[in-house]
Amino acid sequence: MIHLDHNATTPLDPEVAAAMGVALERAMRGGNPSSVHGLGRAAREDVEAARRQVAEGLGCDPLEVVFTSGGTEADNLAILGAARARARAGAPSGILTSPIEHPAVSAAARVGAAEGHAWITVSVDSAGRIDRDTLVDLVARHPEIGVVSLAAANHELGNAYPIPDWVAACRAVRPDLWFHTDAVQAVGKLDVDFAAWGVDLLSVSAHKLGGPMGVGALLVRRGLRLDPLTRGGAQERGFRPGTENVLGIVGFGAAVARSTVARAERQRHVRRVEARLREGLLALGARIHGDPEHTTGNTLNVAFPGCEGELVSMNLDLEGFAVSTGAACSSGSVEASPVLLALGLPPREAREAIRLSWAHTTRDEEIERLLAVLPGIVTRVRAAEALEDVG
Amino acid sequence: MRVVCAMSGGVDSSITAALLIEAGHDVVGMTMRLYDASADVRKGRGGTCCSPAEVDLARRVCAQLGIPHYVVDERSRFLENVIDPFARDYAAGRTPNPCTRCNQQIKFGPLLRRARALGATVLATGHYARNEYGLALRRAVDPQKDQSYFLFAMGRDALRSTWFPLGTWTKDAVREKAERLGLPNAEAPDSQELCFVPGGDYGAVVEDRLRALGLPTDALAPGPVVDTTGAVVGEHQGIHRVTIGQRRGFETRGNQKRYVLRVVPQTRTVVVGDEEDTRSHRIAIDDYRPLCAAGEHGRLEAWVQVRHRSPASRAVVEVSGNRARVCFDEPVRAAAPGQAAVLFDAEDRVLGGGWIAST
Repeated sequence: MIHLDHNATTPLDPEVAAAMGVALERAMRGGNPSSVHGLGRAAREDVEAARRQVAEGLGCDPLEVVFTSGGTEADNLAILGAARARARAGAPSGILTSPIEHPAVSAAARVGAAEGHAWITVSVDSAGRIDRDTLVDLVARHPEIGVVSLAAANHELGNAYPIPDWVAACRAVRPDLWFHTDAVQAVGKLDVDFAAWGVDLLSVSAHKLGGPMGVGALLVRRGLRLDPLTRGGAQERGFRPGTENVLGIVGFGAAVARSTVARAERQRHVRRVEARLREGLLALGARIHGDPEHTTGNTLNVAFPGCEGELVSMNLDLEGFAVSTGAACSSGSVEASPVLLALGLPPREAREAIRLSWAHTTRDEEIERLLAVLPGIVTRVRAAEALEDVG
Repeated sequence: MRVVCAMSGGVDSSITAALLIEAGHDVVGMTMRLYDASADVRKGRGGTCCSPAEVDLARRVCAQLGIPHYVVDERSRFLENVIDPFARDYAAGRTPNPCTRCNQQIKFGPLLRRARALGATVLATGHYARNEYGLALRRAVDPQKDQSYFLFAMGRDALRSTWFPLGTWTKDAVREKAERLGLPNAEAPDSQELCFVPGGDYGAVVEDRLRALGLPTDALAPGPVVDTTGAVVGEHQGIHRVTIGQRRGFETRGNQKRYVLRVVPQTRTVVVGDEEDTRSHRIAIDDYRPLCAAGEHGRLEAWVQVRHRSPASRAVVEVSGNRARVCFDEPVRAAAPGQAAVLFDAEDRVLGGGWIAST
């Protein structure tokens, strides 16, 4: 199977698996990181070593790393934890997002709104771009906003956003704002540097960069207090009570460390694949959604006019290619993607989308094979759909 | 050859897929999600065909058989083309036939289109009926399971592109094979009720849908039960809870059997009478569709079936365009407007069929 669905999850890096294997051996002796005895200390050291790896890879202090169950929990903790803590402290607690954020952000903001925190969204254009001046104007005109949450890279489009630029511009008019960025689709692809970016909160997930599923982190700027989502322990400095996922955390640390190796070279390869794919897909008559200029380099959101994306992705699966539809297709519902609808696409066109996402491990010949099978698939899907229009 | 197999999660479609795999085909399983069962699950009712639990079962069977499996969402199409017409029919005093509508509008339309889009020339389903070379549809070998009555409206194009491998199988043999293969649904009971009415309370479904559609629900209020002389003999709880030919609930005080003869939606009246009164000598058919050349037009001698699980009766049928008039040799019981009337030849091949307009 040719894996072109890296934004859903990346294959586990073999070196990460090896590091987890060592931790697994240790786990067979037991040891809770919170225990004072030797077994506990060994588990604690596993967690802390991983914390240092994450901190080093992402440009933060180890004390700023809060391990979570993944990106979704990190987003929820950032938005709800910040809004609730700010409201209790009497600070503005409103939330600003965009209409194309990951559901983990949008759904958390919706819960926040239901709790009484203001919620506004900044508009996006037909390529999913956000205008900096519009954003700055919004936060200046809305003193009730306390938390800005905008992704560093969009999960469906692969758009990359100038977070440091936005942070500086927003701070200039509203120094009291907390800025959260969901960097789940950015870490491992772009150079993410927590300190240099100047954000207060940053979400990251291990399985998008060669690590295991079920683990991630929220980076929390030192001195900032959040309301935890769960209660019942002092783990992760009280931000995230509950016994740590030691195995996952070890894998996460190893994955972050691995992702920094030869990064420039990897990025060059990924961008070369992007250029070849873009050229090849356009030659096949595809429509490409998103911002062509500012990208992660690893994602293309593509539509073949007249072809339901679901049928194209099933065909590709049968041909041995793993891709996803842009749509939220969990348990078989084909709602058009909210991201594409927010770009102003009519529902019919939004349902034509598929998402291709790759990594430095993707080989040139795999892309050529994809471009070779697509014309036949597009022809037969179009023929079958035309049949329905007639009948 | 690539074949898409419609998988409901039940044992029949599972064995269909297994047979196709054994025959060496490149089989792709596909399950349609037809409705949301969540509301019923809350009420503690189990789902039947194509509820999320059945979707999971289909996924499990495909994993066990080692074939790809896709779930497609047909909830809005099913609601519009099957459930809503079902509700409207009941409110108008007709007796709907949702399984035939589903076969016509959902299974052999959108599903066949998807199969073709996936490069399959054939769609296979677990229906019990025989497809003779794409030219004729014939009753299944197992008379207890025959489903050809529900399939008459599938269309001739679909007939040419569809396989029914179970048409020559008995249910017992299917179960035996499922047990041998160790399939998780080998012992699941046959579904006896409509898939979207898991608790059997179809009256509630009719009421819910009419309200959701903003249609008047006056016709659903209790009304009089009258005998053939017009004398009021009782009250009913809504015409949508009554089926033509129904006996239960309409006995006289002396326990004499009485049957529902017709429903008059305008006055919400249910007319009852003796069994003899339920018989029709002639019926008129609307939206008649031939399924083979022999059923196309003219005067046909045919065996006509007017209800599921009732035998076909000999009749002379005059077909003109999309209408047909049926004159039975012997009157038939409980032919109800809204039900399908299906014409068979003497060798159990479907000639065509349509919807009973009047009796």
